[in-house]
Amino acid sequence: MLRSQGQTTVRFWIALLTGKSAALLCRLFRHSGTSLPGVVALKVYPQLLSVLAADYERIVAVTGTNGKTTTANLLAHLLRSSGSSTVNNHEGANMISGVVTALIKDWTMLGERRSQIAVLEVDEGSVGKVFPSVKPDLLVVTNYFRDQLDRYSDLDHNINLLRRILDELPQTLLLLNADDPLVVTAGCDHSVASYYGVASEQKDQTGDCEIREGSLCPDCGAFLAYNYYNYGQLGAYYCPNCTFRRPVPDFLASEIQDDDYLEFILHVCQRKGRNENCSTADTVRLRAQMRGFYNVYNILAAAAAATTLGVSQQTIASSLMEYAPAAGRMEKFIYKGRPCTLNLIKNPTGLNEVLKTLLRGKGEKALVIAINDLAGDGRDVSWLWDAGFEMLDNPSIKMIVCSGRRAGDVGVRLKYAGVPPNKIIIEPECKPSIEGLGEQDAGEYHILASYTSVFNYSKLLRKMGKAVE
Amino acid sequence: MRIKVCHLYPDLFNLYGDQGNLLIFCRRAQWRGIQVEVDMVSFGETICLTGYDFVFLGGGAESNLSLMSKELQEKGRFIVEAVEQGTVLLAIGLGFQVLGRFIKTQDGAVLPGAGVFDLYIETGMDRLVGDILLETAVDLQEEMKKTSVVRETPLATLVGFENHAGRTFLGKEARPLGRVLKGQGNNRDDLSEGARYKNAFGSYLHGPLLAKNPHLADILLSRAILRQGGGKLTPLNDELEIYAHNVIKNRLVGGYNN
Ligand SMILES: [Zn+2]
Repeated sequence: MLRSQGQTTVRFWIALLTGKSAALLCRLFRHSGTSLPGVVALKVYPQLLSVLAADYERIVAVTGTNGKTTTANLLAHLLRSSGSSTVNNHEGANMISGVVTALIKDWTMLGERRSQIAVLEVDEGSVGKVFPSVKPDLLVVTNYFRDQLDRYSDLDHNINLLRRILDELPQTLLLLNADDPLVVTAGCDHSVASYYGVASEQKDQTGDCEIREGSLCPDCGAFLAYNYYNYGQLGAYYCPNCTFRRPVPDFLASEIQDDDYLEFILHVCQRKGRNENCSTADTVRLRAQMRGFYNVYNILAAAAAATTLGVSQQTIASSLMEYAPAAGRMEKFIYKGRPCTLNLIKNPTGLNEVLKTLLRGKGEKALVIAINDLAGDGRDVSWLWDAGFEMLDNPSIKMIVCSGRRAGDVGVRLKYAGVPPNKIIIEPECKPSIEGLGEQDAGEYHILASYTSVFNYSKLLRKMGKAVE
Repeated sequence: MRIKVCHLYPDLFNLYGDQGNLLIFCRRAQWRGIQVEVDMVSFGETICLTGYDFVFLGGGAESNLSLMSKELQEKGRFIVEAVEQGTVLLAIGLGFQVLGRFIKTQDGAVLPGAGVFDLYIETGMDRLVGDILLETAVDLQEEMKKTSVVRETPLATLVGFENHAGRTFLGKEARPLGRVLKGQGNNRDDLSEGARYKNAFGSYLHGPLLAKNPHLADILLSRAILRQGGGKLTPLNDELEIYAHNVIKNRLVGGYNN
């Protein structure tokens, strides 16, 4: 309950009620409403965020270029599983208005918050606006990658921005990705930091063609040397010229298995100093219904943050198993200069939702629909006939590339759904199907893939295009 | 030309995309300029099927078995009557099982079937699940060569996906749809799959059955239009269907279907 008195209180109430009314209107008019209530409420009372945030028992923030959404959603899930009521801006609206909207929705009309903890995903360009108001108890920084898609975000700018902001947050405990020299650079002046990282056995498959950021030592400007790369510039680096090197992780992931599930051993180290080895380590095996090496970092960051907040390893391990990434969760890319979304499809209902969503877009569209029939997908693909592919008999659909082990089944389904045969291409292999998509002169690309192929598409799109977050 | 089609029990038998068979049947008629009129007959409604050229009964949940058996004790004779008068019928999965003489369930109960097909079912302990490849019955292969005006040698096989606990044992009045080359079939032992009697066809194959077997769809269609005085079917471009058929066939023949 709000305790402050006087004129500020009046404006607070007006702002809260305005925000909540806006949220209600958004719901009535089926507007997504993930930022609009915050925009309106902040107009009424610009200090609203600091008043709302100050009332929470704990605030955790997650920032960085990639993996914010997954990490924050996962952390919120772990905290809830441990019995702490938790609010988060789970819809990925991570600018100040989205953060405020999530908190407004957590407050009742009587001016009471429903949750004990707030987990806030914060856009790396918005840290300057959010953090003076929100003083997080724990801040997770995932990574910094160059993001050509966002004109406003400049890598160095963002890193320096965070560095400056952190000066004003002496109480905030940092949880940093040890494997990213840029993250370590951003947090290097801060007194209280712990680190998470991934052990060396995972070799970077992408070779030399990948752009790697942060090849220069932040301390002396020499080229950093690497013992190994994990992903992008993430790996075990050291400066051949000075003492700058990858900090020893307090939370280490090793023995990674990326098959039907993502599995690794989490070591929680107790150590004396930043560059000392662990004196002792608790280990626990973690397993999640996710795939893709990049998700090891997300799970690791969430587990490390949860551990820091006092969640037991047992709770983390068991609730991680239950966590299923939301069906049809959109991953966004830019490919051949066009927006490209990747969606997991696994049942008629989810597929129909995805189709409805993509058809709402105004532009011309080209699609890949990739269906495998391995154990993770379901061996029987007859369910394709229970889904409403008839929606795709639509002039805004320019071309559909059918892919996967069941490319033929997809093609036949589309034909009987009324899609003209000259709009149907069969290309069973993943990479050529993306290339086939890239030949289509459409305003937007959509890839719909079943469980065992969605990760291949995600991985390839990161290479052939660019991930957006 | 105009044909009348009945979707029997769409509310109970709506699993595994089997109603796709009906869509395929209707589209293949419409693409040839044949008009199709579809009626749906729900559980508990009075049925009269003799006026239909094609009747479809899909797969359903096994929990509905006793319910269906009861319904067909009363109404099964209408289906039998229509089949005896030459109505073309396709029944899949559970819809196929309830058209036999009886079903012995796992707990020993015996549920009467509609008696369209001369066969009985024993419910097994385990399910027979997986992709399946059949060699189409020889007389059907001969008929396929004659169904359309021009046609290259039609596919000699049928492909689909089976998933059933029931074991079907054919009596001498019922002929199988084909011989199992890969997979389990009616009962895992005698290599038969499905059943035929006059213009009635039953099968365990999902996929749905007609999606990758356009040659079978055309047999059903050509028999249905024959009732209305129709002749040979004009050929369609079945490249996609045949491609999809061959992917599964080659995978099963090659033995690398893991
Ligand atoms: Zn250096």
